Order: sequence, then C-alpha cells, then structure tokens
Amino acid sequence: MTTATASSRIELKIPSRPEFISVARLAVAAVAHRMGFHYDDIEDLKVATGEALTNAIRHAQTAGRENDDHIVIICAMEPGALVIEVRDTGSGFDPELRRQALEQEELQEGGLGLLLIESLMDKVDFKTRPGKGTLVRMVKRLSGF
Amino acid sequence: MEKETDAQLSSQQLGAQTAVLRIGGEVDLYNTPQLKEQILALIESGVRRLVVDLAETQYLDSTALGALIGGLKRLRERGGELRLAGPRPRIRKLLEITRLLKVFEVRDSVPQALEDWDAQGGKG
Repeated sequence: MTTATASSRIELKIPSRPEFISVARLAVAAVAHRMGFHYDDIEDLKVATGEALTNAIRHAQTAGRENDDHIVIICAMEPGALVIEVRDTGSGFDPELRRQALEQEELQEGGLGLLLIESLMDKVDFKTRPGKGTLVRMVKRLSGF
Repeated sequence: MEKETDAQLSSQQLGAQTAVLRIGGEVDLYNTPQLKEQILALIESGVRRLVVDLAETQYLDSTALGALIGGLKRLRERGGELRLAGPRPRIRKLLEITRLLKVFEVRDSVPQALEDWDAQGGKG
C-alpha cells in the first residue's frame, strides 16, 4: 500500500486474481475504522468493495487477461465520507446490461453483486466502455454528515 | 462423517438423504469453487435434504450466494430441498437485500431446519 498524498488518499494495486480480494477488503476496512465508521458501515464497505473487485476480476477473465492484469483500489478520505474507486483494465460492459441485471426478478450472480453495491453504498457511479475497462466509484458517508 | 476443507467447510451426513453443511469464516470468489464442489458432492452421494449452517459464517459474497442458489435448484430438480440455518444479522441483511429470503427457507438453527424433515422420516 502507498500513501499518495499525506493523509487523504490511499492507493492499492493488486493482481487481478481472486486470492487478493480479501487483502483489499481488509485494507478498506482498516481505512474506514481509522475514519471512525461504525461496525455495520465497515461491513457494508467490505461487501461493496469485494463485489466491485469480483466484477473487475470477472472482466479480466472475460478478456482472457486474468494472469497479467492488475486492479487499482483508491480510498479517498474526504470530510465526512470515504470514496472508494475500483479501476480495472478488463473488457468493460454495456451499461444497459447492468440495468437489465438489476431488474431481473430472479437475480443471477452478477446481478446480486451489483444490487449489493447499490444498496450498501450511499452513491455509486460506473464508468465503463466495452474493451476499455471499468471504473466503479462508491461513496459511503460517515453518520452525522 | 466429517470432512474439512481449506474454506472452513465441513459436512455431516445424518442419514442417506440428509446432511448439514457448515460454512465457517469468509467465502468469496477465491473459495466459492470449494463450496460448489462440496454441495455437488453431497448431491451426487444421494443427499436430497441439505441444511447449510451459517451460524459461524462471517462473510458471503455474491458468488457464494450463487453457489447456494445453484445447490437449491439442483436439489429441487431431484425433489429435494436446501435450507439455511442460523444466519447472523449481517448475513441475513445480505439475504434480504438480494431478495433471497423469499427464495430460501431460513430457520434460526440447524435443529429447527431439520425438525419437520425428521417428522417425515428425513433421517433415513
């Protein structure tokens, strides 16, 4: 882990492989704990981060690049909120497929993960282009802000 | 019969068709394949009534939930059932968000999950 600016931004780069998901989850939990998040909110952050990483690794697998891709996780400690960005260089996806995944009555695995991210975070943005990778930006506010 | 795996999974067969699968710790994309294998092995061995004990489960991700859904579907195709037992509030919250409380029968404990199966001769 490297500290990009002195106190507010932490960047973690992991290989795009499943065995490193728990490492990133623990790192995000440690940052959230330091910021004063409550237990339940820290658990929400761990789940959302894990799901974003699972999607990123799946994108790399789809692109056939799981062995040499990396995923970058940025934790920005902002006043009253933790912003987590997960950026992959995988295959990207069609945003319309995301909407369809969330609207299915019987959710598939991918839909479950997206639903968890959307439900547990206060704000979520996806930037994705087929073939150009995906950036997921998730915001969790500290209670009282 | 007790089996241990790296993913802190252990299964106990209570009869020809009934088994309890305990999930300890955290299950995510890394160790979900072990969970899938264990469920499939139990079904292959003839289990038709499976209780998944979540009392010691700290974390389940969407891929692990997908494995449980897959197990439920396979068992129902064979006239069987999969029930969840004793999820902690955190796990219950995930089941609620993903609408899976409507899909799975969730009981407070393993004995409660086995209760009416026992009455139907489920230990056989």
